[in-house]
Amino acid sequence: MLSRSISRQVVRNHIRCVASTSVEFRRSFVSPSSTDRASVTDVGPAVVRQIQEDMFAPRADMLGFKLDVQPQAKNSSDLKARPIYLDMQATTPLDPRVLDAMLPYYTDMYGNPHSRTHAYGWEAEKAVDEARQYVADLIGADQKDIVFTSGATESNNMAIKGVARFHKEKKRHIITTQTEHKCVLDSCRKLSEEGFDVTYLPVQPNGVISLHELEAAIRPDTCLVSIMAVNNETGVIQPLKEIGAIVRKHRGVYFHTDAAQAVGKINIDVDAMNIDLMSISGHKIYGPKGVGAAYVRRRPRVRLEPIINGGGQERGLRSGTLPSTLVIGLGEACRIAKHEMARDHAHVSALADRLIKGISAKVDHVVRNGDPNGYPGCVNLSFAYVEGESLLMALKEVALSSGSACTSASLEPSYVLRALGAAEDMAHSSLRFGMGRFTTEAEIDFVTEKIVATVNRLRDMSPLWEMVQEGIDISSIDWSQH
Amino acid sequence: MASVPSRAALLQLYSNTLRTSKSFSSYNFRNYFIRRTRDTFKSIQNEQDPDKLTRFYDEASKELEVLRRAALINGMYGGQKLVVEREGAVRLRGDT
Repeated sequence: MLSRSISRQVVRNHIRCVASTSVEFRRSFVSPSSTDRASVTDVGPAVVRQIQEDMFAPRADMLGFKLDVQPQAKNSSDLKARPIYLDMQATTPLDPRVLDAMLPYYTDMYGNPHSRTHAYGWEAEKAVDEARQYVADLIGADQKDIVFTSGATESNNMAIKGVARFHKEKKRHIITTQTEHKCVLDSCRKLSEEGFDVTYLPVQPNGVISLHELEAAIRPDTCLVSIMAVNNETGVIQPLKEIGAIVRKHRGVYFHTDAAQAVGKINIDVDAMNIDLMSISGHKIYGPKGVGAAYVRRRPRVRLEPIINGGGQERGLRSGTLPSTLVIGLGEACRIAKHEMARDHAHVSALADRLIKGISAKVDHVVRNGDPNGYPGCVNLSFAYVEGESLLMALKEVALSSGSACTSASLEPSYVLRALGAAEDMAHSSLRFGMGRFTTEAEIDFVTEKIVATVNRLRDMSPLWEMVQEGIDISSIDWSQH
Repeated sequence: MASVPSRAALLQLYSNTLRTSKSFSSYNFRNYFIRRTRDTFKSIQNEQDPDKLTRFYDEASKELEVLRRAALINGMYGGQKLVVEREGAVRLRGDT
């Protein structure tokens, strides 16, 4: 009896030993043969090419179909698990309830919402009007003020270029901020090529603009102030109500806000905030990609020159057949967002708290970029003495970004963080954590654990970190000595 | 006006919604709908107003239909495991 239990113990130990060596080639009883004793023959490139052709080239009877094995989602434990998604500022998953609302319009109800002569058109038009109402309800607007577009980028272009070009005879000045999204900045750059004056307001170190500077920047020939509601990289919320009040005092100046990251996440009321134009995106609020909306105030009327001309749909501001299915998806997403906003906000706040506490408890020298009272679903942290890109490379199990998705291909530090006054090294070491409705606590705990381990590992390798531990002030070093 | 839903009917609806929520294949959707179902039904646990109860029951029944269809579609296209779901994940030795 005793011997049997011992032998079982031995077998079990042996298995455990084998299992651990298969994962880690650390040290084992078998030492590898040295290269001079190993019989390795170099086969040459010709043989390698032959093997590749035999193994991977499509055969003649495959009729040109590529050998492309689709991974089966089910019962595949050997399949690589999907990483955790923490990039909700780039895009959000489509809510299953939104997809359910859209599917009928992808099957039987395919009518053109502008067709007035038959039932297919009427049912699509009715659904589009309902969706318009849901979007308007979410922002406290009238449904006639909503113009559907292809996304927030188009809405921003339409608002900024439209207002500026309509008033170009008398007014030639636009005000925006340095931390705007690229599509706003680029529209302004285009206008400055056309001869407009553009003022790029600086922001304070917490990312919020100074109201005094805004008021001082308004000129008699200013036609538009464009300031985003929630920043896409730092989550900073601008004081829209105060800005709206200042802009309203000046006759003939319109207030546009890019609320792609704000709608459905924080309370927005276009009347209380005196907003004249606003951009909304579908895929940031768990809706479909490829659809957005612009709010264009009718009383007092905001006049703008349309970019797209044609059949005169959407009050003539945006011609072209409405993608009724996408519009209905956006409407349903807005309806759900209005219903769930309080719950989502509480959930996201709790997650952000958990993440920040979890990371700062175990890692030193972590700086949160931007106003801590911003939108909690966007947490931008800088890990000093660690390069953000290498951190991202090491974190294969987490889908994160160091900044905006539009600029994620470049290695330049984020211009938003630079505008906040972050030093170059801190702007290089930033990560953006985007949490949302579908993020769970278990995911946050997993990510915290991974981040802590990775940051500590990278710092252990870093000579800079070693110098900091020795008490050398890095910024005082003159690096170019020769 | 429809009659006020009985306690048993509400409990039945609750268990059906919870079961449907658990049938989502995707980790994030499943957890969200389970959490949401528990939350919403807990919030009306001590509700006495028959009007509110009736409205809640109607809305929740409609949502259950939506969730049933959504869970089916999710099962067809989604459900690849996330890294947090992995059982017995490969753990490296602490001294490496």
